Amino acid sequence: MKIHNNKKNLFLALAACAALTLSACSDDNASGSADAESDNPNAITMSWPRDIGPMNPHVYNPSQLITQSMIYEPLVSYEEGGEVKPHLAESWTVSEDGREYTFKLREGVQFTDGSSLTSEVVKKNFDAVLANKNSHSWLGVINVLDKIEVVDELTFKMVLTQAYYPALQDLAVVRPVRMLGEAGFPEDGDTSKGITEAVGTGPWVLDEYKTDEYAVFKRNPDYWGESPELEEVTIKIIPDAETRVLAFEKGELDLIYGEGVVSMDSFNYLKETGEYTTDLSDPVATRTMLVNSTSEKLSDLNVRLALHHGFNKQAMVEGITLGLEEKADSILSSNFPYAQEDIEAVEYDVEKAASYLDEAGWKLESGGAIREKDGQPLELELIYDKTDPIQKAMAETLQAEWLAIGVKLEIAGLELTEQIERRKAGNFDLDFWYNYGAPYDPHSMINVVAEDGWGVAEAHSNLPMKSELDEQVREALASTDETKRQELYGSILNTLQEQSVFIPISYMKKTVAYQNDIESFEFPANRDEHPFNDISVSE
Amino acid sequence: MVIYLIKRLFAVVPIILFAIFLMFVLVRLSPVDPAQAYLAASNIHPTEELLAEKRQEFGLDRPLIVQYFQTVADIVRFDFGNSYVTNTPVWQEITTRLPATLQLALSSILVAIIVSVPLGFLSAVYKNSWLDHFSRLLSYLGASIPQFWLGYVLIFFFAVKLDLFPVEGRGTWQHFVLPSITLSLALIAIYTRLLRASVLEELEEAYVLYGRTRGLKEKGIMVKHVLRISISPMLTGLGMNLGKLLTGTIIVEQVFSWPGFGRFFIEAIFNRDIPVIQSYVVLAACLFIVCNLIVDVIQLYLDPRISREGRAQF
Repeated sequence: MKIHNNKKNLFLALAACAALTLSACSDDNASGSADAESDNPNAITMSWPRDIGPMNPHVYNPSQLITQSMIYEPLVSYEEGGEVKPHLAESWTVSEDGREYTFKLREGVQFTDGSSLTSEVVKKNFDAVLANKNSHSWLGVINVLDKIEVVDELTFKMVLTQAYYPALQDLAVVRPVRMLGEAGFPEDGDTSKGITEAVGTGPWVLDEYKTDEYAVFKRNPDYWGESPELEEVTIKIIPDAETRVLAFEKGELDLIYGEGVVSMDSFNYLKETGEYTTDLSDPVATRTMLVNSTSEKLSDLNVRLALHHGFNKQAMVEGITLGLEEKADSILSSNFPYAQEDIEAVEYDVEKAASYLDEAGWKLESGGAIREKDGQPLELELIYDKTDPIQKAMAETLQAEWLAIGVKLEIAGLELTEQIERRKAGNFDLDFWYNYGAPYDPHSMINVVAEDGWGVAEAHSNLPMKSELDEQVREALASTDETKRQELYGSILNTLQEQSVFIPISYMKKTVAYQNDIESFEFPANRDEHPFNDISVSE
Repeated sequence: MVIYLIKRLFAVVPIILFAIFLMFVLVRLSPVDPAQAYLAASNIHPTEELLAEKRQEFGLDRPLIVQYFQTVADIVRFDFGNSYVTNTPVWQEITTRLPATLQLALSSILVAIIVSVPLGFLSAVYKNSWLDHFSRLLSYLGASIPQFWLGYVLIFFFAVKLDLFPVEGRGTWQHFVLPSITLSLALIAIYTRLLRASVLEELEEAYVLYGRTRGLKEKGIMVKHVLRISISPMLTGLGMNLGKLLTGTIIVEQVFSWPGFGRFFIEAIFNRDIPVIQSYVVLAACLFIVCNLIVDVIQLYLDPRISREGRAQF
């Protein structure tokens, strides 16, 4: 009898477990919207590796740039070739000393809650950012921003502590300088702790959101500018790159877009099927080797030049990136402002590399594989991010390539944060480094060449012309004379190339793959901007 | 029984304290500074002032011993703090994501039980039959196939090619099928063999012979006696695996875009989000203990000989 009761209880317990699981499933069904796929023919579904985050325009991780740029808009926008165009600000004037920018806001721009964009709201946004200046001082314009003065309802003045020519480019970035509506501010105005509502002026409105699952954006019906053709964009959170490709093949996704969002193999596979459209953007940044001139062995220009000449860049980039990146001859690709056409490429030449090493006194003993000088072997250490398969593959390739010219390369895979710490401490010989892309470059790139704290200026500090170089950088950033600035950029970029303190490796590109019912797609000029405004779908 | 349960629950305290201590030491042994990791994840340049500000905000500038006792005191009060990255209470992050993980773990256990109990039992009863060979093959496969690979293969055939199930996500019962199979195959492999061995052992026992000589029906002997006792080792395994499943669905969550806690935890590790990591460790310790306790209680019901009270009756 007792056993019967026990069995009955066990059965009830198991049934309860099953019911719990099933009821949990059916709860989701009841919500009706758990599956983000839409029946709207004028809608697309894209994947993104991470949850979109709290959509606060004034903070960083975990909010995602792509979705922040859908909701919030900048005063000015960054277009092809670095041209800055009016956006929320329809015009502006700059004082002669370059310290005061007077902006005239566009009339009739409304936030999604119906309130108007005014100078007061703009000031409130900048004040919130300035209240946490430390967090945002990486952005040049915030670093030199003194105050915002309201002139009238639609006019305001931005006062800088010193002239800074890239101020407008910096205002085009996605965060933290995009405009949140009054209703989004908490009572104390401090957005660093959170916002109350994602109220922007952008062409998209967040309609539905489920943490870690999906976010649905609807077209803003009251958008001031040209409305996107699409009515709806669903962003599905798919953290795994291979799953993303499988979901795309099945048709659950219309678009895969971004940097590193699919493996290079998968991208080429999708391309080769011929069933989808695939494309690569113009270069968005340069993959570079940072050479530490303060390291004893690398303080000699001849050794740096030998390393620069001593590997087959074309073959390495082709082989490892499967053609998705392009061999880089200069640290700044030609689609960026102030790129120099006369930069002389450092070509692959093993004999030249060997002769540079001979000249530097690093000799190869007969029968030896590693060059020596004063009894010391020519050993160098390259640090790389161990989670990045491309850095790892390139490190291993360079290890083999440089061994052929008698250089022993130790490679050390580190966690990203450790890599950054060692870079800042100057505790490395060679390190992978990237510039920042549009709209941050080239000014952000030359800034880190001159200013300590990033580990780059420190690594270059042994250059004989370092003080002139720094002076040129500061002059270029403050100059209001365009011709002078061109000259200064020319000189800076040529010096960096000649000194081989940066070894440009490849130009990185964004990838896109989309179903054939998407008729038009254009890569945005701003690296962090979303691409949805220019997408149209066939009927 | 009640005393036994109270004793077991008290044993939880030193285990949790030890888990907190271990987690505290291991996180601090890492050369990565959480303030630096936070800024790197946010793409913010880590100036010295900003790093100092973040360390102060996270309480990392205090002496280690103070940090440790503060951590213990907070956890005892069930205050898991705020995530460094999302700045929201960790408990809220857990409760948002844990139900999804729990559902997946339970559905996988159900699949494992539904498949392995009949398969293990029948492969013992019909030893060396085709069914036994099949269960052996399934066990080899289940034990040797990596979960991520199985996940991709299942997606490729059943979602992409045959279009029977969705590739990823959560929402309908169809979404459960592929991840549950992926997770349960390894369990099926273990439970089937465990049950088979156990049934074969029980079949040699005298009570089976006695039952037969008494003229009891073979089916009755098998189901009412042999299976009931043979299932005990499998239940022990289940208890250990339920805890493992709740904390170890990370890879499957990643492959099937399952919005569970595992994915969040992995990001927390890379971001050195200490409040999330320590909450996870405490939660995992609790889950393991509770799951084992539940299984022990079920075993007491199933096989009364295990308890002193029960032994006295038999």
